[in-house]
Amino acid sequence: MRIFRNKVAVLLIALFALVAGPFLGTAVAGGKIALVTDLGGRGDLSFNDMGFKGADEAAAKFDLELVTIQSNSGTDYLPNLQNAARTGDFDIIVGVGFLLADAMAEVADQFPDQNFAIIDVTWLGKPNLMEIGYEENKGSALVGALGAMVAAHNGYDKIGAVLGIEIPVLYKFEAGYRYGMHWGNAKYAEVTGKKADVGLLWSYTGTFSDIAKGKAATEAMLAQGAGLVYNVAGPLGIGDLEAITEHLEAKGRSAGPPFMIGVDANQDWMGDGHRVLASMMKRVDFGVYSAVESVVNGTFEGGVIILGPNNGGIAMSGKQDLADFIDFGIGGGAISESDRGRITDNWVAMRAAVPGWIWDAVDELAAKIGSGEVVIPCGWCADTIDQIRADYPD
Amino acid sequence: MEVEHLWPIFFISLHAMVPITLAAIGETIEESAGLFNIGLEGMMLISALTGALGAEYTGSAVGGLLVGLSTGALLGLVFGVINTYWKGDQLITGVGINLLALGFVAFMLVNLGAPGFHIVPRDVQIKLIPLGVGAVSPLVFVTVAMAFVVYWLLHRTQLGIRIKAVGENPAAADVAGISVNAVRLGTAIAAGALIGLAGAYLSVDWFGAVTKEITAGRGFIALAIVVFSGLNPLLALLGGFIFGFFDGFATWVSTYPKIKEIIPWQFVAMAPYIVTLLVVAGAIGRVRFPKALGIPYLRE
Amino acid sequence: MHWAQALRKYLTPITESVLAGVIGLAIGAVIMLGYGYDPGAAYVSLFRGSFGSIFSWAESLANATPLILTALTFAIAMRGGLFNIGAEGQLYIGALAAVSVSLIHLPSPLHLIVALLAAMVAGMLWSLPVAILKLTRGVHEVISTIMFNWIAHFFAFYMIANVLTDPIRGEKTISIAETSRFARILPGSSLNYGIVVAVIAALLVLFLLWRTTAGFELRVAGHNPESAHYAGISRRKQVLRAFLIGGVLAGLAGAVQVMGRPPTYALVTGMSQVANLGFDGIAVAMIGRNHPIGIIFAAIFFGGLMVGGRIMQFSPGVPLELVRVIEGVIILALAVPELKRIFHFVRKRFSLRRQSHGS
Repeated sequence: MRIFRNKVAVLLIALFALVAGPFLGTAVAGGKIALVTDLGGRGDLSFNDMGFKGADEAAAKFDLELVTIQSNSGTDYLPNLQNAARTGDFDIIVGVGFLLADAMAEVADQFPDQNFAIIDVTWLGKPNLMEIGYEENKGSALVGALGAMVAAHNGYDKIGAVLGIEIPVLYKFEAGYRYGMHWGNAKYAEVTGKKADVGLLWSYTGTFSDIAKGKAATEAMLAQGAGLVYNVAGPLGIGDLEAITEHLEAKGRSAGPPFMIGVDANQDWMGDGHRVLASMMKRVDFGVYSAVESVVNGTFEGGVIILGPNNGGIAMSGKQDLADFIDFGIGGGAISESDRGRITDNWVAMRAAVPGWIWDAVDELAAKIGSGEVVIPCGWCADTIDQIRADYPD
Repeated sequence: MEVEHLWPIFFISLHAMVPITLAAIGETIEESAGLFNIGLEGMMLISALTGALGAEYTGSAVGGLLVGLSTGALLGLVFGVINTYWKGDQLITGVGINLLALGFVAFMLVNLGAPGFHIVPRDVQIKLIPLGVGAVSPLVFVTVAMAFVVYWLLHRTQLGIRIKAVGENPAAADVAGISVNAVRLGTAIAAGALIGLAGAYLSVDWFGAVTKEITAGRGFIALAIVVFSGLNPLLALLGGFIFGFFDGFATWVSTYPKIKEIIPWQFVAMAPYIVTLLVVAGAIGRVRFPKALGIPYLRE
Repeated sequence: MHWAQALRKYLTPITESVLAGVIGLAIGAVIMLGYGYDPGAAYVSLFRGSFGSIFSWAESLANATPLILTALTFAIAMRGGLFNIGAEGQLYIGALAAVSVSLIHLPSPLHLIVALLAAMVAGMLWSLPVAILKLTRGVHEVISTIMFNWIAHFFAFYMIANVLTDPIRGEKTISIAETSRFARILPGSSLNYGIVVAVIAALLVLFLLWRTTAGFELRVAGHNPESAHYAGISRRKQVLRAFLIGGVLAGLAGAVQVMGRPPTYALVTGMSQVANLGFDGIAVAMIGRNHPIGIIFAAIFFGGLMVGGRIMQFSPGVPLELVRVIEGVIILALAVPELKRIFHFVRKRFSLRRQSHGS
């Protein structure tokens, strides 16, 4: 009898859910979300950290419980995703990084009723999987143009790029940076009437963890006359910046040039606010946040979402970003509250030292990219990078 | 490549030499006494973290180095006790230390509020000494001095003879009245101190920050350098410099625009490993190790 | 009497290991309490995650598969008195060889066999210079294997990015052909028939070491080099044997990992699905006391620890970094065979003190 009553209760609840569901939205407050990171894990100073930041903010905003699942090795992605899906507890499971692509493809088929999202992957095409890609090439074009013009303005004839392991995602950074550099050279000549011939020094270091390689590569580039160095290798930026700092100290200075350009997260606050000129921000946090938000709002659907300069997914760092990430730095004890004023002042002074027309030119390029007037190579460069290197040479 | 680029490459090599060589000299001391420690990587990693925090809290770079050194000594004590009085397995202990360190440092950096790395404020980093053609860290001189001091200690003093006796024939040393376990424990602590200094150098001096993977395999390279040197600290100095030179050189030349057309970067990056092998095969050859290396001493 | 001795011989290391594991877990519990995590819930999910269900068993065994092989590489050298830490590099090369066989088309069972053979030969060839350098130039294997590991690392980077590259994806090699893959044993899990290869390899090594003259010579050379010398056992032959067989086993480890472990069936940039298997194999071999049967159990234990550790992130939310710390503590505890004696010693002291208090 009791069993029967329970069954009736269950049935009634199910019926209620069925009828009221569309009005209530699919998710309920107090739900759970899972973030599965790739091997870089937390503390990679790059997209895993940004992904965590987005998930953390979403969890706080929507009153959800966040479970972060890291992976010991590349073989962990599949079981980690499966284990998360098998619990059935999670409103959405977000995978961070293209390394999870194959595992995600399998798990999305295996658990068709589970919502998934993945960052940096755009080719899987599953009804229950939101794929979020980024236009890093466009953001890199902006900092490439900025870099070339600032270097030329300061009398340097080279800009550098220190890259990590050679993978297609990094080709996108390289391709955009190359395009931007050539655009910046042309713009500089057009505005000033002086020929600008800023060239590119670039190096794949083969690592996302050995800081020494970033430092040595940057020292080499500075010795060859680089006016700034673009960090495209997460933590190696610490080495890039250390090299720049020592280079400046040897000349009795603290502020750049030469500068570093940060990547993924905002790194402008490092280097006392006046050695990192700008950061090419890839807002993985924004992507993860909106994936969670869509589930909460009941608008989640599978398919590809491209985040770029137009919708805030890719951006060159501004003053508000600086303030946000100073908070981030203080929260971690990397800097203290008493540094905030000095860093902000230094940053403002650094930016002000760059002529206004250069910033206008960068905005112009951004607008042209947005309107489609300028097309930045490349969407997925695995098969075209050699051609791009020939078209936009060093 | 221009001539004026040779100076910076030289200084890069010197700075790359320091951590490998310091750790290798430390390992040399304990291997001479018969202890084989593959936990260098983990010990350096933990000391890099404590060194960075130490520099900040003491407000002095030297303070940071000393904190890192003490951390290493403490870990050396743990390794030493397990592998002397507790007759543990040296290899498993080393593997355990590495695993523990990997987790511990990342845990401290990532989960206790930090953004995954910790920047050492500029004013509590070691100041470089300007030399006109470049700037050099004082730790380079410390490393060179350490090599000579440890060489002298091992080969010219009574203590050195005792250490080597313990590594060569612990039973005979025991009969001669040397406390095998005490000597080994002492070398483990001394070795740990040098390994800890090597770790602290990474964060307080070379990189000015600590990340969860800051050692990047240097502990294992140090292990290779010990073999390279055949337990001779002066040769460890040379080996560390050769490796550091080709490591820095490979990274350096891979930034040259023309080089990529000639040789892929992956092959340039192999240079330090190939050269080290060639030097060992060509010039160093066979090395002798203490007979009791890696074997716990059980009194019969 | 005979069987009792034998039982004692096998039971002692087992009880020691179990005790060490328990002590490691206890220390881990204290650490977790210190940071505000619930150790009870954590350990429940650790054991449930590693051996609590058919899926967790499958994952533990899948993790054990390559570890058995790399541990055998280390163990066979250790039995011969050599310190071979080259499995790491050899398994990269083995995996590359297995992938490159998928460039050609062959019918089903043949393709798989050819790929395994290619990996074995490749692993062996990568190991050969280590042996040659040792025999001709006296280069110690610790230095040559570390250097060859790094050379293999960069060589694999090159092959992934430039030679065996997937034309569309770019960040990985081409995938292993369907005809050359190990089927899954349990659908929806990572466990595949590669484990059969690993277990057979372990049994063959067992047979080789204790039932053949070659194995006897190897063990004598390792255990007592001087008497081996007087017995006329060639040192040269032993060195070659240990490294070449080790290379074959490590090459197989790389092959079973890319040919069997879903879902990628390719080497990915950074080689994240094979990296560190060689080094973990050292720990497995030592815990398994360099005995093939011990290694099988140690690999399952180690693999299970890794699987269960991951699960600890779910329910009590223990971060992976802390899980690694606890794993490190357990390994450290395993290093100390004296723990048992220390345990007894402390207990005796304690009870003595109690007695003296009582009197």
